[in-house]
Amino acid sequence: MGSFIANLLLATVRMASPLIFLSLAELYSQRAGLVNIGIEGLAAIGSLTGFLISLITGNPLLGVLAGALAGILVNMIFAYATITLCAEQIVYGMAINIFAPALAAFTYRVYFGSGSELVQVELMGTMKSMFGIKSDNFFVNLFLDQTPMVYLAYILVIVTAIYFTRTKSGLNYKAVGEYPKAAATLGINVIGIKYLSCIICGALAGIGGAYLTTCYSKTYVDGNVAGRGFIALAAVIFGRWSSGGVLIACLFFGFCDALQIRLQLVNNTLPYQFFQMIPYVATVVVLAIIGAKKAGPRASGQPYRKEER
Amino acid sequence: MAVGSPQTEVLRMEHITKKFGSVYANRDINFDVRAGEVHTLLGENGAGKSTLMNVLFGLYQPTEGDIYVRGQKVKIESPSQAVKLGIGMVHQHFMLVEAMTVFENIILGDTRSKGIFIDRNARKEEILELSRKYGLDADLDHPITELAVGAQQRVEILKALYRGCDVLVLDEPTAALTDQEAEGLFEIMNKLKQEGKSVIFISHKMREVLRVSDRITILRAGQTVETVNIGEVSGEELANRMIGRELKPSQYVKSDSSGEIVAALDHVSYHKSSKHNGLNDVSLKVHRGEIVGIAGVDGNGQSQLAMLLTGNIAPEEGAMDLKNSKVTRFDPNGFIQENVSHIPEDRNKAGLVGNMSVADNLVLKSTRDKRFSDGNGMHLKKKAIRSYALEMQEKYDIRCSSVEQESRNLSGGNQQKVILARELEASPDLLVAVHPTRGLDIGATRFIHDTVIMQRDMGCGVLLISADFDEILEVSDRILVMFEGQIMGEYSGKNPPIDEISLAMAGK
Repeated sequence: MGSFIANLLLATVRMASPLIFLSLAELYSQRAGLVNIGIEGLAAIGSLTGFLISLITGNPLLGVLAGALAGILVNMIFAYATITLCAEQIVYGMAINIFAPALAAFTYRVYFGSGSELVQVELMGTMKSMFGIKSDNFFVNLFLDQTPMVYLAYILVIVTAIYFTRTKSGLNYKAVGEYPKAAATLGINVIGIKYLSCIICGALAGIGGAYLTTCYSKTYVDGNVAGRGFIALAAVIFGRWSSGGVLIACLFFGFCDALQIRLQLVNNTLPYQFFQMIPYVATVVVLAIIGAKKAGPRASGQPYRKEER
Repeated sequence: MAVGSPQTEVLRMEHITKKFGSVYANRDINFDVRAGEVHTLLGENGAGKSTLMNVLFGLYQPTEGDIYVRGQKVKIESPSQAVKLGIGMVHQHFMLVEAMTVFENIILGDTRSKGIFIDRNARKEEILELSRKYGLDADLDHPITELAVGAQQRVEILKALYRGCDVLVLDEPTAALTDQEAEGLFEIMNKLKQEGKSVIFISHKMREVLRVSDRITILRAGQTVETVNIGEVSGEELANRMIGRELKPSQYVKSDSSGEIVAALDHVSYHKSSKHNGLNDVSLKVHRGEIVGIAGVDGNGQSQLAMLLTGNIAPEEGAMDLKNSKVTRFDPNGFIQENVSHIPEDRNKAGLVGNMSVADNLVLKSTRDKRFSDGNGMHLKKKAIRSYALEMQEKYDIRCSSVEQESRNLSGGNQQKVILARELEASPDLLVAVHPTRGLDIGATRFIHDTVIMQRDMGCGVLLISADFDEILEVSDRILVMFEGQIMGEYSGKNPPIDEISLAMAGK
């Protein structure tokens, strides 16, 4: 039983990491007033790009970088449409969710052909293996049997928290999502910050996707993001638009994910799909409880137009 | 002349023209400001005051014309540039981020201090010093949402001063203030003057304009009429020049109708224990052909009274009669069927659907009418609605580019006229009008009063709720005073005892 719980906690941290990247992506976007529901699609293209590049170069870290870049590039479609053309954000987010995974699947087929068996790629090493530590202590595993990406996720949470609460730039950034017109009258570059938010969002979503193919699973399969991009949306609401809250939300959803896998393994009377539902049911339940009170950035979802009478 | 001494010109706008499409919002306007003066821009709604100030603040680019700051010709392309030139602006709709604290709002966009992080203590010290100097008390760690309107305005002024402004633009600053709050503002303006700052004061309220201004520039229909010194012309004369025609002092004949009772409240209570949002044992009657004015400081239960009389809320105790039959169900539609009309207190939130056209708003209550639709609202007769809207536009003098224009783009006065047209065309038996002229200029106010009086003379019972005491005195045939949800007293509208009523309004 002890090892069950230990394994569960270890898996929670592993499962939460991609969610943290994706949720922070959404957080940065929403803080600038852009509700980007296309995180799922951005993660998909990041996942494939990460996979391809780490396969070609043999370096998972380069894969992650390439994933970030791909995420940014695809998110620029969203940025241009919603910021410059003031188009409906939900529509373009949805468009990305349809377009990007299809592009990923298409690229994979073009590169590997259809019908061939799954190509495997070397995963990023954990700190434990890098330093050659042999101990199997729980705490050693918890803190050291993790890839650098996991550390990066937690560092980003802290950096984000500091950025939004302690820095001048973070304050200006938040003002854009709350009341862009007021921000503009104070000399804040509203359009610039909105584009910046899309770059950060694209990069983080791409990294979150690339995590799945460089740190989590050796293969790429279509649909490997598996709704995490949507759970990230829930995590931002659950986390009340703060990075600490988002971290708690991600750990919670990560825990649900880890739990369902463990339960699948120990139980063989119930159909496994029943357990697979757990993270998604948890999302619905949490949103039903939390979502009633809206407290997000006030100008979320609204286009910003200059010289409007 | 030394910089900062009175009479030094700090700002001049020459031949400013601003076009929106083919419409001139400003046309060849000349305007200048001297150090240490309050210069008022006087004009009706839509005269182009706000547009001119938005040009000055870099929010709009002028189509033609030049701006000089301290003698130097400048091009102001963004608000941050205006701020650098020492121009600060307090917008009519406050530019405050509600989710942030007073402190955060003041330092937002700050570029003077170095470093990435916010140096809270040093910044707070600076702000507190400013607030002491100008008598602008502000609780820095309070979130904006918890502040009253007057306090929010002080934050806006602090914000401008913190950025080192020499010229402060106040765009209709008293529109949302109570009388006491307005007094506080005038004191602050005086302090600013003493410190050598200039204030551009935008208003159409003659009383306060005469009180605070040194010079007055009158705008009409986007053009400068003239600039005058205070004391050179009387308030009446100013008003005439502002609206461009002679405005006779209003003298409405008070009626003492004892006609049939249209609505009566009998010991009605609603959220009794709430002093500001409840009704406590209210009894009143409204007869046909009379205007019952409810006087009182805002937030003493007037909103609830209006909601009750229009069927939006049901009383917890007591009963209501409408046209001599007891009301058993309180729902707005039932009341509309009973011919009750309502001019709600917030025209944007409750009176109009902002994203719908003027024409659609006009028929909102009568879509099932045979004139406007077939089959009980199944199919709208677009042509009939349009021609009806054109008729109303004419009759109520609604100024809009077309009846298809979205109503949110209309000025406040014209929005109110749309509501008036919709509510009065039904020839109501009971009209509940809440702050019908709030934020409107003299011309529009007069129009609305005239129309309401006309309804009265046609036999409509009117309940007028207003925080503007002058308005109550001017048009009411009977005056009731509300305080903390209770009726404090009843007075005749003919030669009302003003002092007594004022005391009653304060609960004495």
